[in-house]
Amino acid sequence: MSTHGKPMSIRDALYEAPGPRTRRRMIIGTVLSLAAVAVGIALIVRQFYVTGQLAPRYWTFLGQATTWRYLFQGFRGTLAVALTAGVLSLILGLVLMLGRTSGIKPLSVACRVVTDFFRGVPSLLLIYFFFLVVPQYGIKLSSFWMITLPVMLAASGVLAEVLRAGVNAVPRGQVEAAMSLGMRPARIMFKIVLPQAIRFVIPSLISQLVVVVKDTTVAYVVSYPDLMQNARVLITNYDALVSMYFTVAVVYILLNFAINKLSAVIAERLGVKIIR
Amino acid sequence: MTMDTRDDVPVIELRHVEKHFGDLHVLRDINLKVSRGEVLVVIGPSGSGKSTMCRTINRLETIDSGEILIEGKPLPAEGRELAAMRAELGMVFQSFNLFAHKTILENVTLGPIDVLGMKREDAEKRAMELLARVGVAEQAAKVPAQLSGGQQQRVAIARSLAMNPKAMMFDEPTSALDPEMINEVLDVMVELARGGMTMVVVTHEMNFARRVADRVVFMADGQIVEEGAPDEFFDHPATQRARDFLDSIKGH
Repeated sequence: MSTHGKPMSIRDALYEAPGPRTRRRMIIGTVLSLAAVAVGIALIVRQFYVTGQLAPRYWTFLGQATTWRYLFQGFRGTLAVALTAGVLSLILGLVLMLGRTSGIKPLSVACRVVTDFFRGVPSLLLIYFFFLVVPQYGIKLSSFWMITLPVMLAASGVLAEVLRAGVNAVPRGQVEAAMSLGMRPARIMFKIVLPQAIRFVIPSLISQLVVVVKDTTVAYVVSYPDLMQNARVLITNYDALVSMYFTVAVVYILLNFAINKLSAVIAERLGVKIIR
Repeated sequence: MTMDTRDDVPVIELRHVEKHFGDLHVLRDINLKVSRGEVLVVIGPSGSGKSTMCRTINRLETIDSGEILIEGKPLPAEGRELAAMRAELGMVFQSFNLFAHKTILENVTLGPIDVLGMKREDAEKRAMELLARVGVAEQAAKVPAQLSGGQQQRVAIARSLAMNPKAMMFDEPTSALDPEMINEVLDVMVELARGGMTMVVVTHEMNFARRVADRVVFMADGQIVEEGAPDEFFDHPATQRARDFLDSIKGH
């Protein structure tokens, strides 16, 4: 058991503290795997070199301000879609969860069907629906909403389930105590249950935001200028596939890394309060 | 019925209350009256239905048949009326059930502000008085997880008191506590009893029962087997079932 007053990591919780022989094996394993990774990277770089992908003409345009300005426009588009879809899906997910957990049978069944539908259907299919089917009925949507709505709907199904898991995790005694004070069900849900439920599931909510960010990359289907779409335009202009995709991947990784970091900070800040 | 003066009407009355959990008959023909200012202690082996009975009084458990009357009026089955009736009955749980995301002060002011419509300053002033009375005033700004079990249970009592209840139910209030914290909670309850609070207390604390109870009810297998004054019950139990129970907890 760890008694150093240091916070326990998952590893501390799952495995006993290593002894001397295990520590030696761990060092050997670390060295070997590092070597393997280095060799792997070297092979990849070599292959790129051999096929000419490292040639300056594929990379120099990344030094131009116009490239980055254009990419930044795309990045803003990605953020706009991701944030709008994220916030709307949270609201819709909440409504679906409330409907499903309400005692009203038809409402509960309807919300369940809607939740399972959006959770089960791939977001690309939803995008095609808004891109190809909806306009046939004379409903004109801007490309922003053609990407935002399907991404939002797909996420709302998952979020409804995440929130429901959180609500179920709130101990029954919390509700009983509130009922004993004479509080009505709706007040209990909003003042006692939801605030605690959301704290339980904040890490999952933020992970879902990462999924939303990644879902926005299919925006090219509807020609909405997000990061991915603008990257594709640049690829066509400069004929620089590998370098451009590589750069964009790094941007996405940094963005999602930032979201994850944010979730860790929020969880830690709230976590102090909810330890029982 | 004759013209009762208000104080002759029992605060709580159970008439022929029956309840099943599936095949299990947890409450069998329960008849009980609790008068104003009376301290009723319910004891019995685990699984005897005493907690369930306690929880039927504010309908945290429903009943299959029978009647529950609060000051002579039937306990409402649902809605606004039920909530209003619950607001007039205090409930203290085995596991405290303080609102985990709210401070101690907020735990005590929530009911008065949200249910009774009291002004925040007034509610906070009253809450601080109550917290002082149960000896945890200096913890007001903390959250429940930062308090010991005994402190949490005293806050839970203050939370109930803040609603100015007609009666209070205690469902094994000391069963989840470490031994050294039991007395600090019992002391608060003794104080309440002396102050004239109507109380129904489900407990395993026999000394408390003997010292504080006006009447002891002994339950087993979902029935009230015996009831009487504490000294009478503990010294001369009338039934074999009660004698067996008292023997089984002696000698510790």
